[in-house]
Amino acid sequence: MNFLPSFRLGVLALSLLAGGSVAFARLDAKLVTIPAGVYTPLLRTTKDAAAVPVAAFLLDEKPVTNAEFLAFVTANPKWRRSQVSPLFADSSYLEHWAGDLEPGPKAPPGAPVVRVSWFAARAYARWLGQRLPTTAEWELAAAAGYTQPAGRTDEALQRDLYAWLARPVPAVLADATTARANYLGVRGLHGLVWEWVDDFNTAMVTGESRGDTGLERDLFCGAGTVGAKDPTDYAAFMRQALRSSLKANNTTTSLGFRCAKDLP
Amino acid sequence: MKTTALFLLCATLALGAETPPAGKKDACCAAMAAAPFSAASLYQTDVTFTTDAGQPFALGALRGRPVVLAMFFTSCGYACPLIVSDMQAIREKLPAGIRERAAFVLVSFDTARDTPAALAAYRGQRGLDAQWTLLHGSNDAVRELAALLGVKYKQEADGAFSHSNLITILNPQGEIIHQRTGLQGGLDEAAAALAAAARN
Amino acid sequence: MNQTAMNNPRILSAVAVAGLALAAALLTTTFVRANEGPTDVQGPVILPPEIVNLPVEQAILTSPPHVPPPIHRTYAARVVVNLEIREVVARLADGVEYTFWTYGGSVPGSFIRIREGDVVEFHLNNHPSSKLPHNIDLHAVTGPGGGAASTFTAPGHSSQFTFQALNPGLYVYHCATAPVPMHIGNGMYGLILVEPKDGLPPVDKEYYVMQGEFYTTGKYGEEGMQSFDMGKAIDERPPYVVFNGAVGSLVGDKAITANVGEHVRIYFGVGGPNLTSSFHIIGEIFDKVYPEAGLSLPNRNVQTTLVPSGGACAVEFKVDVPGTFILVDHSLTRAFNKGALGMLKVAGEPNRVIYSGKEIDAVYLGAQADAGSDSAKREAELKKQIAAEIKSNPAIAGLTKEMQAEKGKQVYMGLCFACHQPDGKGLPLAFPPLAGSDFLLADRDRAIRIVLKGLTGPVTVNGQIINSAMPPQEAVLTDQQVADVLTYVYNTWGNKGDAFTSDQVKALRNQNH
Repeated sequence: MNFLPSFRLGVLALSLLAGGSVAFARLDAKLVTIPAGVYTPLLRTTKDAAAVPVAAFLLDEKPVTNAEFLAFVTANPKWRRSQVSPLFADSSYLEHWAGDLEPGPKAPPGAPVVRVSWFAARAYARWLGQRLPTTAEWELAAAAGYTQPAGRTDEALQRDLYAWLARPVPAVLADATTARANYLGVRGLHGLVWEWVDDFNTAMVTGESRGDTGLERDLFCGAGTVGAKDPTDYAAFMRQALRSSLKANNTTTSLGFRCAKDLP
Repeated sequence: MKTTALFLLCATLALGAETPPAGKKDACCAAMAAAPFSAASLYQTDVTFTTDAGQPFALGALRGRPVVLAMFFTSCGYACPLIVSDMQAIREKLPAGIRERAAFVLVSFDTARDTPAALAAYRGQRGLDAQWTLLHGSNDAVRELAALLGVKYKQEADGAFSHSNLITILNPQGEIIHQRTGLQGGLDEAAAALAAAARN
Repeated sequence: MNQTAMNNPRILSAVAVAGLALAAALLTTTFVRANEGPTDVQGPVILPPEIVNLPVEQAILTSPPHVPPPIHRTYAARVVVNLEIREVVARLADGVEYTFWTYGGSVPGSFIRIREGDVVEFHLNNHPSSKLPHNIDLHAVTGPGGGAASTFTAPGHSSQFTFQALNPGLYVYHCATAPVPMHIGNGMYGLILVEPKDGLPPVDKEYYVMQGEFYTTGKYGEEGMQSFDMGKAIDERPPYVVFNGAVGSLVGDKAITANVGEHVRIYFGVGGPNLTSSFHIIGEIFDKVYPEAGLSLPNRNVQTTLVPSGGACAVEFKVDVPGTFILVDHSLTRAFNKGALGMLKVAGEPNRVIYSGKEIDAVYLGAQADAGSDSAKREAELKKQIAAEIKSNPAIAGLTKEMQAEKGKQVYMGLCFACHQPDGKGLPLAFPPLAGSDFLLADRDRAIRIVLKGLTGPVTVNGQIINSAMPPQEAVLTDQQVADVLTYVYNTWGNKGDAFTSDQVKALRNQNH
């Protein structure tokens, strides 16, 4: 397999702060090439494709960190905590940061940024000329194990994943680089934070467009397993449930994001 | 032309249904245009669309009018025609004076097939007059509008879309004041909510 | 609220207005920040005047094993329930921790008590520190999903819905977010009691107990932080089956209590996610069981009642005699090996007519032993012959003894060495020596008896008085093991003696003294 790490080195965020000082933040996030593959959706109706082909793409090696997001809000005042519109981020947006431009002790520079909305995550990606990964892309990259292409049969990965699910959200998140890289060289897809995907708002739709009660059935109470590809993949159900519980301006203590990009 | 429409609407909004005194029009509209959108206004979004006439369209252009908005796609065989009919029914339930001022907006999920030309053809088939705005957008724009409205949608293998059935009422500031979910009933409530917002 | 005031319609409406204001204040303060952007919510329900005008109450919620006080109202109310979801690390067993997903911080979740006909304004608050979205399906709700769809709530958010309690009964509530078995398996269940309009018969004590099973990666008792094991859950092989969320949550100081003569009611539910309980209290007979918790016609005089996963029952009984009564799932490996055991401690004067306690303990040999069967006689004869044969052959006898002593050494090093020491010298004034012990070697039968039955009080060993206590080992050691360990002790550290046989031990084991 051929990994082509490309770097968004030297992207320089330069901004004039209110006080007149100048802030520099160099963003050196590494993008990893995810080879083309096939995403098998967790829940599927007869109208849905059993396998969704996914073209090769670039994906952040690790989730976006507090330091990187600081550069973004420094350059884009409308995304600062005190200035963001409630339409785009709810009132707990970056609540754990010490100030508008000061992540502080609860948000170490190298830890994934959390309490960011879908709108904010998207704006960040757009600022770098990137985008959020789609559900299919994210799940394809996350399907890899540590040491083998299939994560579902990688016992070490499964153990870490369920151990993470079993623990409450820590008050201060670990550095993103501490997450073990998977077979494709991507870190922290499991076991660090949940992550936004661009099309998170497909999560609840299952093909019945004839009334919303038809949709509810697919998520709630037992019916959750109807048409499931693999009803034993509890972690996939949990990601699905989380995505479908969210509104685009929501933020939570364990929800961050990473960026993706089309191959040049 | 757009400016004129906005001009008249601002005046109507500020002074209710009464005809505004001629001298006050300018001041009113200058104030409106300068004021930023409210914190809950959907018009804060910077995504833009294209009308079925091929003209660029920002949602903020609807400012000042009560709006009935839904997302749909023209080749939908079941829910979308009903949604359009329900929007027409809401229009009929509006009191005169408000009915004429309301905007009816349809935005397509189908970014590939519902080109401006396809939307123009649909306008003809359904007999939708100038009070209706039909919009085409990029994948990005459509995804963002859906997120703002709380609409969930997904393209199926055959190219059709599964989607929430949602009719949204916006007040003249572009804030969501009411949503009708599903396909059953709720038209009286939607019309009442719109009328109340238009009077305020 | 004051009962008399409620009977006066004019005062009633005044109180109702005050209540509404109170409720409004409760709703708008603290946790919930409304208007966080567009949603697909339908907005508050517009209630008809006859319901809007009902008095408003804040529900009292209790954690297990406690139950909110009975409802004495004779009219319907609007009841506001505020339930908070928290993901917390807590004790599952001694040395074993688990991340429980809870309603109100406890497993089972807070007990909710309302009255038939009440209109409930339900607020589900998912704590910001939660990792996952959650919801609630209340079996007391008439409506799709039991409220599940209406309460699907992201971390750091709050949902509200309203329902009317149409049917009286005791109902399970639980999380219904996919994967549902994991949410329930991590503790997301509880009980809501909808009291019948006419109320329930008064009792002296009410308790709240729920059974649930936990699918941990480690086996029962394996220490440390445990995770949910999906494979065990799918196979329905839980290492833990417990009452009230932990091994020992109703044991010792935490036992539920009553006094002789009192009537006790237990609201018992099963959260599951999978197992059905055979609920039984050892030494009690349920005077009444409201089967499947319908609270209308009770079954009477029940020993064990079957409570399905996602079901409940209410049991009532009068306690007539003092003592400890054990609550179990009578699928007994769950009680014995997995933790499904609780205690009801009853205080008061004994009544020996109802229950005498042990009156007599005597030897009973059984009819078979009296008459003896030909086969048994023949076996005994053969054994005697073999024994004689072995004794007459010194080589075999010596080897047999040596082997017995080796086996006995293993018993000694596992059980006896801690007090009597590996060198058999004991500890001065605390534990008597066995090496060269005149007391030991003087009486072989006494030695057997001491190992079996223990020995408490002063003994003189080699001229030293030692006042100590040795626990009986008859429950721990087989006859052969007693014979082996004594053979070892009698032939080590310079001691000399014949081997002991299991027959010798058996004869003394059955003796009383």
